[in-house]
Amino acid sequence: MTAVLDRVSQAPPVRRRGFWTARRRDHLAGYLFIAPQLAGTILFVIVPLILVVWYSVHESNPLSSESEFVGADNYRHLADDQSLSGVLAATGVFSVGLVVLNLALALLLAVLLNQRLRGTVVFRTLFFSPVVVSMVAWTIVWGFLLQDNGGVNGLLDVVGVDGPNWLRGDATAMLSVIVVQVVKNVGLNMVLFLAALQGVPRELHEAARMDGAGPWRSFRSITVPMISPTILLTSIITVVGSLQVFAQIAVLTQGGPGNSTTVLVYYLYQQAFQFHHLGYGATLSLVLFVIVLVLTTVQWQMRKRWVFHES
Amino acid sequence: MRKFGVFVVSLALLAACGTDSKPEAGPVELRMTVWSANEAHLKLFNDIAAEYKQSHPDVSVKFDPIPFDSYTTTITTQIAGGNGPDLAWILEGSAPDFVDSGALVPLDDTLNKTDGYDLDDVTAAATKLWKHDDKLFAYPFSTSPFGVFVNTDLLKRAGQASPAELVAQGKWNWDAAFAEAAAVNAKTGKAGLVVRDFDYKTWDNLASVWTGWGARAWSEDGKTCTFDAPEMVDAMTALHKAIFVDKAMPGPGVAADFFTGESAMTITQISRASLLTKSFGWDLVPLPTGPKGKYAVVGQAGLGVLKKSKHTEAATDFLAFFTNPANSAKLAQYFPPARKSQLTAAGLAKGNPLLKPAQLQSVVVDGIATGVVKPSHTGAAELSQLVRAALDPLWKPGANVKAVLDGVCTAIDPQLSK
Amino acid sequence: MSRRAKLAVYGLLCVFAIPFVFPTWWMITSSMKPVNDVFRFPPSLVPTRFDWSAYHDVFSMQPFARQYFNSMYIAALVTLGTLAVASLSGYAFARIRFRGQNALFLFVLTGLLIPSEVTIVPLFQMFQKWGMFDTHWPLILVPVFGAPSVLATFIMRQFFITLPGELEEAGRVDGLGRFALYWRIALPLSRPALGAVGIFTFLHSWNLYLEPVVFLSTPENFTLPQALTQFVDAYGGPAWGVQLSAATLIAIPVLIVFVIAQRQFIEGLAHTGLKG
Repeated sequence: MTAVLDRVSQAPPVRRRGFWTARRRDHLAGYLFIAPQLAGTILFVIVPLILVVWYSVHESNPLSSESEFVGADNYRHLADDQSLSGVLAATGVFSVGLVVLNLALALLLAVLLNQRLRGTVVFRTLFFSPVVVSMVAWTIVWGFLLQDNGGVNGLLDVVGVDGPNWLRGDATAMLSVIVVQVVKNVGLNMVLFLAALQGVPRELHEAARMDGAGPWRSFRSITVPMISPTILLTSIITVVGSLQVFAQIAVLTQGGPGNSTTVLVYYLYQQAFQFHHLGYGATLSLVLFVIVLVLTTVQWQMRKRWVFHES
Repeated sequence: MRKFGVFVVSLALLAACGTDSKPEAGPVELRMTVWSANEAHLKLFNDIAAEYKQSHPDVSVKFDPIPFDSYTTTITTQIAGGNGPDLAWILEGSAPDFVDSGALVPLDDTLNKTDGYDLDDVTAAATKLWKHDDKLFAYPFSTSPFGVFVNTDLLKRAGQASPAELVAQGKWNWDAAFAEAAAVNAKTGKAGLVVRDFDYKTWDNLASVWTGWGARAWSEDGKTCTFDAPEMVDAMTALHKAIFVDKAMPGPGVAADFFTGESAMTITQISRASLLTKSFGWDLVPLPTGPKGKYAVVGQAGLGVLKKSKHTEAATDFLAFFTNPANSAKLAQYFPPARKSQLTAAGLAKGNPLLKPAQLQSVVVDGIATGVVKPSHTGAAELSQLVRAALDPLWKPGANVKAVLDGVCTAIDPQLSK
Repeated sequence: MSRRAKLAVYGLLCVFAIPFVFPTWWMITSSMKPVNDVFRFPPSLVPTRFDWSAYHDVFSMQPFARQYFNSMYIAALVTLGTLAVASLSGYAFARIRFRGQNALFLFVLTGLLIPSEVTIVPLFQMFQKWGMFDTHWPLILVPVFGAPSVLATFIMRQFFITLPGELEEAGRVDGLGRFALYWRIALPLSRPALGAVGIFTFLHSWNLYLEPVVFLSTPENFTLPQALTQFVDAYGGPAWGVQLSAATLIAIPVLIVFVIAQRQFIEGLAHTGLKG
C-alpha cells in the first residue's frame, strides 16, 4: 500500500493540468464539500447572532412599524426587570432538576437492563418508546393525566393517596414539567449508557471481585470511570437541551401558576412574540446564549478532572 | 471567500424581490380576521359578502377565523410581518393599542359619505373606546352585554327556584345566585355557576362579577391600579368563598360546559346563544344585583381597516356595507348593534328567533344602555399576563385575598404608569 | 444472580415502566371513548363504550390530512437534505486535508452551542423580509443548513474517521476522483451512521414546535405538533376528545415503525460514536 503511495507522490505533476494539481483539486473538493454547511452556518447561525445584538439595541412597536435605536436601554431593563430573577431561578431549578433526574434514571435503568436477564429487550423498547412519540402529543396527554380528576390522581386513588392538583401548585407544577420531560427523553440517554456499560471489559469486574470488592464499590471505582466519557457527553447534551425546553411548558402550564414555570426560553417567547417587545426578546436571547456558552465551557473543562482516560 | 460573496448578492436579490409589491387593479380579495369559527356566524357573514358582491362583482371577501386565545397576538404578528389582513375584529381589551397606534384607517369620511348609513344613530358611549383625536378608527359592531344563561331543568332537579322568579321578586342577587349554584353542586354533582371563558386565566371576564361590588381593575385614566381597593377585595373575597368553600363554582382545572348540560348557570355574552340545543330547558336573565345594586357589563368588538392593507378603499367600503343599518339588524341576533334605532326588544327579536322579547329587553337593551365596558389598556398583552400571573396565588383554598391583590398592584404599577 | 435479586430487578423495571407506558396506553384508549367517559373519575383502563366520532372531527375541524402531509414531506426533505449536507461536510472534515480545516470545523461547531431559540427572533425577521413568512421554507432551510444539522455533521465525521485508509487508497489507484471516493466507497459504508442520523433528523423535524408556531399562520400550512394545539371549539376551549384522537393518529404510525425496526433504531444510536 505505502509503495503505491510513494510512487503516486513521487510522480511528476502532469504538465498539461497546470494550476490544478491533484492536491489542489483535493483541496477544492474539501472546500466545496463543506460549502453548504459553511454557508448555512454563516447565514442561519452567525448572521442571526449578529442581528440579535443589533435588535437588542432597538425597540419597535409592531402595529406602528417604527423601530428606534434605544442604546443600552434593553440591557438596563434586564437589571430592573422584576420578573427576571424569578425566571432565572425557575430556569435553574428546572435545568438542575431535569439533568440530575434524567442522568440518574438513565444510569439506573441502564444498569438494570445490563443485568442480562431474559426479557430486558422488551423493557428497553418500552423505556425508549416515548422518545419517538410526538412531543406535543405526549405533553397534551400528560396535561390530561395531571388534571385534578385525571389519570395520575386516579392511579394514586387506587393506592389510597389523595393526589394534589398537579398543575396548579407552584412546586408540583415544576415537578410535573420536569418529570414529563425526563420520562420523554431518558430513553435516549439510557441507550447510550447501556452501550457504554456493555463496553466495560468483564475482566475488570472479575478482578475486582477477586480482590474482595462489593458490587457498589466495583460500580463506583470501575464502572463509573470507565463510562465517564459518556457521562460527560450526555450531561453536556442534556444540560444544553434543558435550557431549550419550550413546547412542554407552552402546552402544560403556559409558564404558570404565577410565573413559577416560566423558564428563560418561555419568557423570551412571551416578550418577543406575545408582548411584541422584539428588542427585549433579543436581549434575553443573548443572556440565554451566554449561559449556554458558560455551562458548556465549564463542563468541557471539567473533563480533565472527571473523565478517566486510558493513558 | 467567493462563496460568501455569492451569498451576499443572492441575499440582496431576495430582499429586493421580497419588498416589491404594488396594489393590483382588477379583482380584489379582502381578508377579514374574526375570532368566531361558529358555523352560524360564518354563514351570516358569507351571506352578507355575497350580497355585496352583487353590487361589487370585483370584490370577494374571505373570513379568516383565528382562535380566540391567541387572536390579538396572531394578528399583531401578521401585521408586523406585512401579512396583515385587510379588515380585523378587535377586542375591547386591546382597543387602545390598535386605535392609538396609527395602524388603522380613520373611518368617519367613508361612513358619513355612505348613503343611509346614519352614523349619528350609533351611541356615543359605544364609540368612545374606538375614537382617537375625535376620529373613529374602528366601528363597534358588537356591544354584547353579559347575561346569565340558566339550565332550568338542572335547577328544578336540585329543587331550586328559577332565577326568573327571583328577578320578579327583586331577590336575584349574588348571595342568591351563589346559594342556588352551591345547592345544584351539592345535590347533582354538576357545576353550579361558571364564568365562561374565565378558566382561571382570562381574568377580565371576572368584570361581570366584580362590577357588582363597584370594583374596577384600574382607574378610568388607566394610571392607577385599583385591584387593591376595598371594593375589589370584597368582590374577590366573595368569589373565593363561592369557589373554595361553598363549591358554587368549579375549581381550577375542572371543565364544565354549560351548553352540554354540565353546569346550571353560566355568565356569558348573548352571542353564545347559538350554542343552545334543545336538550335542556333554558332561560336568560340579567346579572344578579351586587352590594352596589343593579349593574351591567358589556364586551365590545370593533371592526377596523388596516392601514397596511393593499386595498384600504375597497376594505373601508365593505366595512360601511357590513355595518350599515340593514346588515346591523341581521348581525344583531349574535352581535348587538350600537344603533339606538335598533336597540329595542321588538327590533332585536325579529333577528333573534331564540330569545324572547322580555329577555332581550332586560339583558340586551338595558345592558347596553347602562353597561360598563370590560377593562382595556395600552400594552394589553403584557398587562394581561402580569395580572394573570399575579392572581394565580388567589386560586387556592385558604388564599389571603388582600395580600394577593396587593401583589397584583405591585406587579402592574410600573406598566400602568408608562 | 440470586432469585431475590432477579425478582427485585424485574419488580423495579415494572414499576418504572408505568409512567413510560401508561400515557401512551391512555391516549389510545381514551381516543376511542365518548368524551364524558374520558373524564370519569376514577378513569377506566379499558374503554367500556366506543365512540369514534372524535376521529371524524379531527379531519373536519382542521385540514388535518394536509397538515399530516406537511409534516411528512417537510421531515422527508429535511432528512434527505441533512444527510447530504452532513455526509459531505463530515466526510470532508474527516478525510480530506485542506488548509484551515480544523478552524473551519470549530467554526461550524459553534452551531451546536447556539440554541434555535436564541436566533429565532432575527430568523423570523429575515424570513419575513424575504417574503417567506407563512411558507415552509424556514422549516426546511434552517434545519438542513443551520444549527440542527451540525450534530449530524459531527456524527458523520466521527464515523468517517474510523474508516480504514486503505479502502480509499485502493480507489485512488483505480483513478477515482474525490467525489467518487465519497460517493462510491465511503458513503455506502456509512449506512449505520446514515441510518442513525436519518432517524434523529426525521424525529427532530417531525417534532418541531416553536418554529412552526413562529413562522406559520395559515392552518393549511401548519405542521402536526402545531395543529394538535389548535383543536379548539368555536369559542376557544380545548376540544378534548378530538385532541386525543389527533394525538393518537400522530403517534401511532411512528410507534409502529419503531416497534418493527427498534433494533436498528436503538443500535444505530448506540453506535453513533456519541459514546465519546
